[in-house]
Amino acid sequence: MGLELLSSPLQQPGVAPPDGVLIRTHDLWKTYEMGDTQVHALSGVSFEVQRGDYLAIMGPSGSGKSTLMNLIGCLDTPTRGEYWLNGRLVSELSDDELAYIRNKEIGFVFQTFNLLGRSTALHNVELPLIYNGTPAEERLQRAREALQRVELGSRMHHRPNELSGGQRQRVAIARALVNNPSLLLADEPTGNLDSATGLEIMALFDRLHQAGNTIVLVTHEHDVAVRAHRIIHIRDGKIDRDERTR
Amino acid sequence: MQGFLRFAALSGRMTGEGLSIDFVSLLSLPRTGWNPRTSVITETQVRPRPFSDPAKRRTHTSFWFTAREAFGIAMNELRAHKLRSFLTLLGIVISTATLIAVMSVVHGLNQYIATHIADLGVNTFIMSEFKWAQGYEAWLKARRRNRPLTIEEFDFIRDNLLGYKHIGAAAELWPNPPAHYGRQEIEEVDLSGVTPGLVNIGQTEVEYGRYVSDSDYLHRSMVCFIGQDVVDKLFANIDPLGKEILIRGLPFRVIGIAKRIGTTFGESQDNFIQIPLSTYQKVFVARPQLQIFVQAWDSDQMMALEDEARELLRIHRHIPYHEDDTFAINTSEALMSAWQSLTKTIFGGAVGIVAVFMVIGGIVIMNIMLASVTERYQEIGLRKSLGARRKDIMMQFMTESMVMAAAGGAIGLIVAFLITALVRALVMPASMPVAAVVVGLLLSSFVGLFFGIYPANKAAKLDPIEALRMEG
Repeated sequence: MGLELLSSPLQQPGVAPPDGVLIRTHDLWKTYEMGDTQVHALSGVSFEVQRGDYLAIMGPSGSGKSTLMNLIGCLDTPTRGEYWLNGRLVSELSDDELAYIRNKEIGFVFQTFNLLGRSTALHNVELPLIYNGTPAEERLQRAREALQRVELGSRMHHRPNELSGGQRQRVAIARALVNNPSLLLADEPTGNLDSATGLEIMALFDRLHQAGNTIVLVTHEHDVAVRAHRIIHIRDGKIDRDERTR
Repeated sequence: MQGFLRFAALSGRMTGEGLSIDFVSLLSLPRTGWNPRTSVITETQVRPRPFSDPAKRRTHTSFWFTAREAFGIAMNELRAHKLRSFLTLLGIVISTATLIAVMSVVHGLNQYIATHIADLGVNTFIMSEFKWAQGYEAWLKARRRNRPLTIEEFDFIRDNLLGYKHIGAAAELWPNPPAHYGRQEIEEVDLSGVTPGLVNIGQTEVEYGRYVSDSDYLHRSMVCFIGQDVVDKLFANIDPLGKEILIRGLPFRVIGIAKRIGTTFGESQDNFIQIPLSTYQKVFVARPQLQIFVQAWDSDQMMALEDEARELLRIHRHIPYHEDDTFAINTSEALMSAWQSLTKTIFGGAVGIVAVFMVIGGIVIMNIMLASVTERYQEIGLRKSLGARRKDIMMQFMTESMVMAAAGGAIGLIVAFLITALVRALVMPASMPVAAVVVGLLLSSFVGLFFGIYPANKAAKLDPIEALRMEG
């Protein structure tokens, strides 16, 4: 029965969601102009994510899930609709403000790790702190702690090409965590890893979730998605199914 | 069942405004089996915390943080692409090196000319047929009307000019003749006829023996005063005093030896033989063409003395008042200003060349920076996703191009230093003024900064999504 009803009527446009709600989107649209025609990558997506939740977004390619991910990650702004993150309406922020939100509120984990090849693991983890002006000693301290948290304390001064795929992804996760973001946003985090290493990384995500992190995972692998506690299926720019798995 | 619960929640929302919140949390919390507020946290708690308090919030990034990070990145990039960077910087290197080297050589020459060449002696002017360093056209013109200065004219000026300190005259034999002593030979030696007074004016000083005397002059003696090179070549291990040197088959007795002068532009100034002007007239040239050296008592008297001498010679030559001189008066100042106008031209030309090189160098840097931006799309996207603002990225790339250009400037400085050292060692004096170093480095940095604007702006405007190319 009407699953969309779950979220949309509950929401009131223009009013901040309560504190327990980390993410609230209301009627999000993203429209691209392709010559004369308009392509709707997202057509009216509304949902909420509670603080401390573990959510997977699934969908075939072209479904709009990466567009949604970009919006959630504050890398892009919606054509229409509201997006509240951590009590702030971020769908109408300027470029620099979005950069600030990305720095403070969101930790990205990418499929391709996206580490700086010529920098050590430590410097890679330091990067987000550099962009918010953390003093050098504190920066180093926190970067070390973050690396220890992902059990890479012994490999701080290695460059990415001296690390295995799993280790690289753990460095990326440490980087995502170092600023204590309110949201961990992972895009196919196991896509470039063999299955054993993938399991290792997923176990790490489980632990992070246990520790209180809110995680949003974008994937098309069912095995990965079922580790989450809630799965949103996207199809043709709309929420197709929203199921809670545990 | 789930649907029902949710529906119930909706009804709750509909019946009372305040209730909806509680319903939502009721809905989700029991079913997740985990409550962020109550659960025991096993690892370091990362979150939840309230949204950053605007009052406590740090100003996003301080300038120096990003500047330092940007500098580190720039150095890394330079190190990572050594050859590429070097080739890129060649234009800047060449232009900076040219600029600094030219400045150094001109600077060195200026000093040198002032101390060695334009130094005719204190408060001295020289009367001669032609003006020095006046340019070819003017020389051609002067050649048609000017006449050489003769011994009679020298005598006339010497006897009628009032108030000079010293006066002397010299005539030089051209081409330079060979000189012999026994089996020793000098192929070419500067031979000049001089008056006794000349020793008081010029650079020549007596080391031992004596200079040409009034008596030698009066009697047209076959004597000579020689430079150190002549001593070295003809009289190794022999005392030259009293020995006879053969010039064009005529014997000249050595009466004195000069102190060593040194070299000018790598050419020795000690390879000379001086004989009395009267003897010179008798045996070599019947009508010698003179240079007359006049020394004033002090600089205030210079102008007056110059005018006096000019008038005397005009009178002696019967030059009508409306006609120009048929001779010239040379002073150090005139020589210096002629020299300086020459160096100005040289310098202007160098600046033009350097400007062209700099622009080319700058365009090459811009080009490579554009390539670098394209190459590093992902890095830019990543940095943006981690919270770098436009101006952070802008700063990063501008710092990079500036550091690159400044490095080119520094290499250029080293090259210029080597060139200067080489020039000094081989050809002519050169010294690097501090201004040249500062100008070279600043200019190259500025070029880097300027030509870095466009690529940096391009990088800063990149859409992070496109830059990251996230898969979907």
